[in-house]
Amino acid sequence: MVHKRFRFLGVAALVLLVAMACGGSSGGGNTKQYKIGLVTDIGGLNDKSFNHLAFVGLEKAKTDFGVKDDVTESHSGNDYVPNLTSFASKNYDLVIGVGFLMQEAMGTVSGQFPNIHFAIIDGAGTDASGKDLGHTNVQSLFFKEQDAGAMVGVIAGWLEKNGKAKTNAHVIGAVGGISIPPVNHYIAGYKWAAMMEDPMIHVLVGYSNDFTDPAKCKGVAKSQIDQKSDVEFQVAGGCGLGVLQQAGQSGVYSIGVDADQKDADPSVIASALKKVDVATYTAIKNVVNGQFKAGALTFSIANDGAGYSVDNLTLPAELLTELKTVQDKIRAGTLTPPADIP
Amino acid sequence: MPLGSVLLAFVIGAVIVAATGGNPFSAYAALVCGGFGIGCTQGENPALQISNTIVFLIPLITAGVAVALPFRAGLFNIGAEGQLLAGSIACTAVGIKFSSLPAPILLPMVLISGMIAGALWAGVAGVLKATIGAHEVVTTIMMNYIAQWLLRYLIIGGPLQLAAGTSKSSPIGAGARLATILPNDNSLFIFGLPSSVFRVHTGLFIALAAVAVFAFLLWRTSLGYEIRAVGQSQKAARYAGVSVRRTIIVTMLIAGAFSGLAGAIEIAGVDHNLTDKYFTDTTGFDAIAVALLGLGSAVGIVMAAVLFGALHAGGSVMQADANISGNLVFILQALILFSIAANFVGAIRQRIPGLGRPTALPPQMPPAAPLMTEAATPPAEA
Repeated sequence: MVHKRFRFLGVAALVLLVAMACGGSSGGGNTKQYKIGLVTDIGGLNDKSFNHLAFVGLEKAKTDFGVKDDVTESHSGNDYVPNLTSFASKNYDLVIGVGFLMQEAMGTVSGQFPNIHFAIIDGAGTDASGKDLGHTNVQSLFFKEQDAGAMVGVIAGWLEKNGKAKTNAHVIGAVGGISIPPVNHYIAGYKWAAMMEDPMIHVLVGYSNDFTDPAKCKGVAKSQIDQKSDVEFQVAGGCGLGVLQQAGQSGVYSIGVDADQKDADPSVIASALKKVDVATYTAIKNVVNGQFKAGALTFSIANDGAGYSVDNLTLPAELLTELKTVQDKIRAGTLTPPADIP
Repeated sequence: MPLGSVLLAFVIGAVIVAATGGNPFSAYAALVCGGFGIGCTQGENPALQISNTIVFLIPLITAGVAVALPFRAGLFNIGAEGQLLAGSIACTAVGIKFSSLPAPILLPMVLISGMIAGALWAGVAGVLKATIGAHEVVTTIMMNYIAQWLLRYLIIGGPLQLAAGTSKSSPIGAGARLATILPNDNSLFIFGLPSSVFRVHTGLFIALAAVAVFAFLLWRTSLGYEIRAVGQSQKAARYAGVSVRRTIIVTMLIAGAFSGLAGAIEIAGVDHNLTDKYFTDTTGFDAIAVALLGLGSAVGIVMAAVLFGALHAGGSVMQADANISGNLVFILQALILFSIAANFVGAIRQRIPGLGRPTALPPQMPPAAPLMTEAATPPAEA
């Protein structure tokens, strides 16, 4: 291990000399080992959701580019700044922050280390008032969650309209974590598409005001199910696993979020996918290829950065056709799911 | 400090690391590096690590006092977290409302408003205890929930919310902020890093002053004597002319003020606004461990806070460098608490005369009684 590191140092020094001789062109290529630091939010690596996916993307980049990867989980909001600072102070080539909740910390730390590259999922580097500081060393990885939300909305709406759900009272629900843009984008697409499929549908929207405690989301889901909702869409990270469990206990369908949550509960019939792994991988790839670009990079159905998976229910062929039609239309731009809840 | 408990915890922790395929030596080396900046091998900046530890331990000291003081009066304050949140809410509200005032006026205002809010939060439990004998463990825990949900309401859709679609408040005015000890400057380099990364703030001195006030209050004032007297035996205190009810209420008010101060210092010194990070804040609960490990003494609290602050700061480094999950830190903290609790009664008997004199216990009392006996009995004072 130590021996390897010394060898790498020697190679790095040689590359540096060559690079300097060539007039400072950055020709890392395969010889430089890039160091990538990933900081999760409070959900942790086992959230079966976007922190987990970010890690999947990181592991893939490790295999493909041989980067050195290090991960730090944040156990509370107190940890965001120190964790980001730690990687930046050790001169990592890219420091990735996972999640909207880390925006302010990202803004602070990226200002302190203008020579370090940062990427943040779902956000930007902001000041305390939430204003984007526009730091030229921060890349924002955004998603059109409404694309993924719309696909599962089609499933929920179609099942209700055709009486293939459980109680079929034309009521479905969505449980959000906190009312923040990435959450509301999902719900917007879901509601919009469900209404498109089934004009009679009533979509219940509730928030648990939490992203970590399943019990809190369970309560919100329970009250929606009591109001005859029979398809429950969770948009609340680790908290939302409670929605899936409650749906299972109440014998209704549920829809997972971010990652394929098929295994979280048998009630999960589909998942809205936000391919954080693709985004993370892309960000690392860009740094390795010397193509880091500040500003927003948006992932959607059009560039395969969002989508859906079909899980513990065999969907009728008719519905599958409908899904394909809608997806093609969104891809082509003839259908545009709204970003705000209709 | 019960060093034995700490050592035992680390030994068991090492076994757990080894059993799960990790190397305990590299884990602890990374922990020491992360906590104290000593022996870092992977490029950590020692000054940065020490700075992080200090930032984490500041609220632990102040909140630790808020748990230790009621201990002396035979009260178990589980509500430090709720009182801390109340303090941070009040501090933020005042800091926003009067944001244009200059620092010499506004800074004392936000800190004192935090103390008042914390005192009131704890005072509810004190009054309930003193008047109708409601157990303070139960009432302070309930008050924690109220504070947590009040906070969620206030910054998500409530009056303190910055803007729709956010889960934080506006920042407090510049005059309400505690200065950092090193200049908050991105372009000035100290110890090889921009000086703004060193977040140690003047709240450190406030915390140390708070722990000194605690020691002085307890050992050099008549109120402190009354608190200790009530803790030793409410009956004896009453015979000696001490008003048990008044002492219980005053103790809780003061304890709450310390907790509220911890919350206000966090806002004024570190965050400058209320954010969702306070949903997952555990300072008030860690403070219980700090007070227990510090055996309720001023020096002990500071030392225990240093240990817990270092564990917190070291956990992330351990995960990044040694690939040992940062959750090991929580296992260590729990093991420390567990091993203290295992000889809880013994330690308390020896060191804190306040909490239960086993010889004075009626023989039918269950084993857990020393902790509860004073608390469970409503004062029968006229």
